[in-house]
Amino acid sequence: MRNRSCVFLFIVFLIVPLVPVRGQPSGELVIALPNDPTGIYIGNASDVTAISATRPLYDGLVVYGADGSIQPGLAESWDISEDGRTYTFHLREGVKFHNGEDFNAHAVSTIWEYGMTPTNQWLSYYDSVASAGDIVVIDDYTVEITTSEPDAFFLSEMANGWFAIPPAYLAEVGLEAFEAAPVGTGPFMLENWAPGDRIVMRAFADYWNPEQPKVERLTFRIIPDATTRMAAIQTGEVDIVTRLNTDDVALLEFNPDVKIVSYPNDRVYYVAFKNIGNGAGTPLEDKLVRQALNLAVDREGLVAALFSGYGQTVSGFVIPSNLGFDPSLQPYPHDPQRARELLAEAGYPEGFAIGMSCPADAYTNINEVCLSVQRDLDGIGVDVDLEFKTTNAFWSEAHYATTGPMYVDSWSSPNGEAFWRLEGSLTPGYYYSTWTDPVIVDYLGQIAQAVDREERAALYAELSHYMYDDPPYIYLYVLNLFEATTKRVTGYQPLPNETFYLNEVGVGG
Amino acid sequence: MLVLVFFTVRLTGDPVGLMVARNATPEQREAFRVAHGFDRPLAEQFIGYLGNALGGDLGKSLRLHLPNAELIMQRLPATMELALAALLLSLVIAVPLGIISGVFPGSPLDLLARLIGLAGQTIPSFWLAMILILVFAVNLRLFPTFGRDSLEHLVLPAVALSVASMGQMVRLLRSAVLEVSRENYIRTARSKGLSEIVITLRHVTPNALIPLVSVVGVNFTYMLGGSVYIETIFAWPGLGTLLNDAINDSDFPLVQAITIFIAAFAIGLNLLTDIAYDLIDPRARQR
Repeated sequence: MRNRSCVFLFIVFLIVPLVPVRGQPSGELVIALPNDPTGIYIGNASDVTAISATRPLYDGLVVYGADGSIQPGLAESWDISEDGRTYTFHLREGVKFHNGEDFNAHAVSTIWEYGMTPTNQWLSYYDSVASAGDIVVIDDYTVEITTSEPDAFFLSEMANGWFAIPPAYLAEVGLEAFEAAPVGTGPFMLENWAPGDRIVMRAFADYWNPEQPKVERLTFRIIPDATTRMAAIQTGEVDIVTRLNTDDVALLEFNPDVKIVSYPNDRVYYVAFKNIGNGAGTPLEDKLVRQALNLAVDREGLVAALFSGYGQTVSGFVIPSNLGFDPSLQPYPHDPQRARELLAEAGYPEGFAIGMSCPADAYTNINEVCLSVQRDLDGIGVDVDLEFKTTNAFWSEAHYATTGPMYVDSWSSPNGEAFWRLEGSLTPGYYYSTWTDPVIVDYLGQIAQAVDREERAALYAELSHYMYDDPPYIYLYVLNLFEATTKRVTGYQPLPNETFYLNEVGVGG
Repeated sequence: MLVLVFFTVRLTGDPVGLMVARNATPEQREAFRVAHGFDRPLAEQFIGYLGNALGGDLGKSLRLHLPNAELIMQRLPATMELALAALLLSLVIAVPLGIISGVFPGSPLDLLARLIGLAGQTIPSFWLAMILILVFAVNLRLFPTFGRDSLEHLVLPAVALSVASMGQMVRLLRSAVLEVSRENYIRTARSKGLSEIVITLRHVTPNALIPLVSVVGVNFTYMLGGSVYIETIFAWPGLGTLLNDAINDSDFPLVQAITIFIAAFAIGLNLLTDIAYDLIDPRARQR
């Protein structure tokens, strides 16, 4: 009997590889990471690298589409109640965790409650969603989550930070063991993590979408040095490298084995003004002065000269790829003549002197950008005393309090909406928020509660007009980001939030 | 050493700004400071740190939430492998070349030795590392660019790390051989009619090698330290890349722990070198 089954198994093993299976993953995809992730457990992943590298292990209830809209994930669909507070998620059936555990409403609820317990500081998600509230299991595949107030970004935060992990396994092994060998429902399961060296994953055979993933092995290699990453993509030792600068692009452009992928990054560079602390009582309080400073800067020239044209000038904090962008708003033109007139009108015909701080080397060519702004403002009689600070010192609380009253900074807002950029830099009380305007604060409060997307879009547009006319910043530019892949990589598209979506990525040849 | 490391890392910035999310509330920031003792006066922090370090407790990493000693031990084998390979490589090339160049001054081999000596001491190793990658990995495809998978992966980083010490050893040996050759006992050996080969191998070489012992010790320590940028360039998962990450993230406890570890290692190695010196050179014992 035993022999017979052995023979049977033997035959099965012989035949199985010969039968072509649709969607069978194959090959190995190797991705270079610029630094060692802090961990591979999504609950602790705080840096972009860690989030990128751990993401393939997990799925959320909802996910971001390429256009920034919210798409179904482990929840096939959802309903939002009239008052905008209750979300009913209809879960996908037949989904399994990598360890064989079933994914269902009870799993969601157990994990949710575990995360909401204040003593379990394990999922940064729950900290970031102030409105996260009660969960009710309706049936095996339906859960209802009620937020404490209408929250326009509840689904965004869910897509960003909530991932299903198996409650029974977590209870069995404990958090520490789970952190070392995490389990999710994602398209890839963890095979090996060698800190400082690599993270190896393999395709999860029982993934709920039989067409995904496309590759059998997924390997992240940690390569801290940019020159080495460039070499490794040229030799084909890695398939995807990120964060290229324009020099790298020039080097790879003519390499027949490499493809360059370009996409606009949602990070606005700007010169900030202060109207609190040492900014109070300065000429910056006058709206005409701030308009004049906006007119004085030659943005087009700056993008052309310093970034070889790989960037766009902006009219405000809501950029073309954001919800509610109004194309009728054009970036301030370079008009020094008009700028001088405005200064005279504001009572500064001879200009004035003012301090400006620059985060030295923090971004591509940022030092040159600071110098260029200084020169342009000098052109209308504004004498800028420029100070360079190393990044750690620049972004410290003490520095924000004493710097400036002008400083160069940037802010990203990765989910297709400018809210996080606006809220982060314009909310009184945050130490890095140095401009206070009650009108803007009021708009932000309305946006945060506008669960309806169209309503938010209209509010963003109104706010943009207000902030164009009464600018709290000199708006500068957004830059294109570049990544490179080997020619054999298929189906890869970088996301503006700088993380990876690898379900559809394959390797040919 | 402890004092220097402790205060320099604190000059580089505020860990709170880096470890806590940018949108954290002032209360969360303060809680982080209190939890890690950063709210206490520097002098008090220093005393606490000193006590722990002397007791062998190297603390816990801010960023990786693991004991520093464990992290160091995880990465040590890779660094030792690279440093030993580089040391071996410099010895294998420097010893014969240094001796030959000392015995035949002015010969083509001597010229080569002097060139290596000069190059080793003047070429920055991080620059050499990049050139090695461009030439041998990207253009010739002879060796892999990065990583630590097989013996092949060891070649380029070991070469880059060894060249400085190789140059120093060649120069040292060359001058030692020249010096020993002028000694009276060599003249005596020659007058006894011994062949040049016997003189070189039995009388010149052993005496010329003595100063090399101390250089080997010093250079090995140098390699452990120098591995920081070589490892970073070749993505070699050792102590160097760990230190590089720790510095970038202002992970003070980890930076301190690694520096102290390397310093302690250097002191231990110097002691061993001195002992070895005593064993090899009878003159050292008589002092």
